[in-house]
Amino acid sequence: MAETSEEVAVLVQRVVKDITNAFRRNPHMKELILSGTLNPIKDLHLGKLALTKFPKSPETWIHRRWVLQHLIQESSLPSFVMKANLGTIPAERTQRLIQEEMEVCGEAAGRYPSNYNAWSHRIWVLQHLAKLDVKILLDELSSTKHWASMHISDHSGFHYRQFLLKSLISQTVIDSSVLEQNSLRNEPALVLPKDEEAAASTEEPRINLPHLLEEEVEFSTDLIDSYPGHETLWCHRRHVFYLQHHLHGPQLSQAMEVDGLNDSSKHGYSQETKRLKRTPAPDSFGLEMEHRFVDQVLSTCRNVEQAKYANAYRKWLVTLSQ
Amino acid sequence: MKLYSLSVLYKSEPKAVLLKAAYDVSSFSFFQRSSVQEFMTFTSQLIVERSAKGSRASVKEQEYLCHVYVRNDSLAGVVIADSEYPSRVAFTLLEKVLDEFSREVDSISWPVGSPATILYSALGDHLSRYQNPREADPMSKVQAELDETKIILARKQNSCCAIM
Repeated sequence: MAETSEEVAVLVQRVVKDITNAFRRNPHMKELILSGTLNPIKDLHLGKLALTKFPKSPETWIHRRWVLQHLIQESSLPSFVMKANLGTIPAERTQRLIQEEMEVCGEAAGRYPSNYNAWSHRIWVLQHLAKLDVKILLDELSSTKHWASMHISDHSGFHYRQFLLKSLISQTVIDSSVLEQNSLRNEPALVLPKDEEAAASTEEPRINLPHLLEEEVEFSTDLIDSYPGHETLWCHRRHVFYLQHHLHGPQLSQAMEVDGLNDSSKHGYSQETKRLKRTPAPDSFGLEMEHRFVDQVLSTCRNVEQAKYANAYRKWLVTLSQ
Repeated sequence: MKLYSLSVLYKSEPKAVLLKAAYDVSSFSFFQRSSVQEFMTFTSQLIVERSAKGSRASVKEQEYLCHVYVRNDSLAGVVIADSEYPSRVAFTLLEKVLDEFSREVDSISWPVGSPATILYSALGDHLSRYQNPREADPMSKVQAELDETKIILARKQNSCCAIM
């Protein structure tokens, strides 16, 4: 990085005074990294500090993604290693990078309510660094649960959980179709690892998707009962219900692209509603349970907002069966 | 979901007297903290002055929700929280604190007390324990809700906290 303490002071000042342009001004940070003058890890550290003061700063997050992308591409070490059944898991170094990013995003999310930029970055890391590795997705689902329960109007935080569940669904579909193909081909499916330890550590985590979704519904029920009158919780419930009852439906679309050329996220909403109309009605038992839940809420709640959201939810349920 | 301050006051006429307060301003940046704390002290006093004896109310001021309980004996409590924190638990906390306070501090000292002279040290503990409402008050979901409280929107009103 900057060799002298004066250069460090200049860089720090620049970040504090003008976060919008800090990473773009002369000397250009990207050029410094590409020429090998600036260590990308140190740049990430500087970014982490900047985010403590500017947790939303889009430029900082964008620059961060560029640095991570550069790190993954340019390093001579593999970012993924083979697993026993021909799948891959992130290499240890990549795992550490991922963990660090999860932490940075978590801190930034705590510093600003519904910090869309922080949560989008978190999603990007899972997509591009972790390649939606199932174990990591499961870990994230369980480790963000408490945070979500303490930030019940943080829409971005709940959207993150929806992304995790959606990704787990799509990854399970992919894995099971790969296994199907392998068994059809009738080849020896495993390339055995050299030692016992490796075999144990690369075992496929078993996901019980219906159970996970059911747990999320219970989580939603618990929160709605404990904290009446928060729209975010009701929105989250809609998403989870939708995922539950379209589990075996048409293939879910790709998780949103961050910084990508694919701007399907802009059309995302209308695509979802189109799909909603195209797919068969969710099972009537599930719908009935939800109607009963709304009844229970309306009969006991004294909070005006809660009643409003419960009624809106009921109307939504009705549109599903039309 | 956050609690920022917990205060015990005495509603005398015309001003409210601050008896004891605890604050958690850790989520604010270092340079903001003292002014945020001042704002909360001032707001708590103002709210008690504007509230009738024997009333409970929740006053929304910017992104904060101030829950106030003034007892018939003029002892009052104010908790300042964010909009996620359930008001039900806030009022449970206030009831509990005022109850404990009135047992530990002789009422003769209320009208003339100040944080320096009042001997009551549990506020800080209560504030930090109640940061997680479900841990502090696990039964609150099951309990019947309190009698109706009005939520007063005070954003642009001149009657309350206009200076903020």
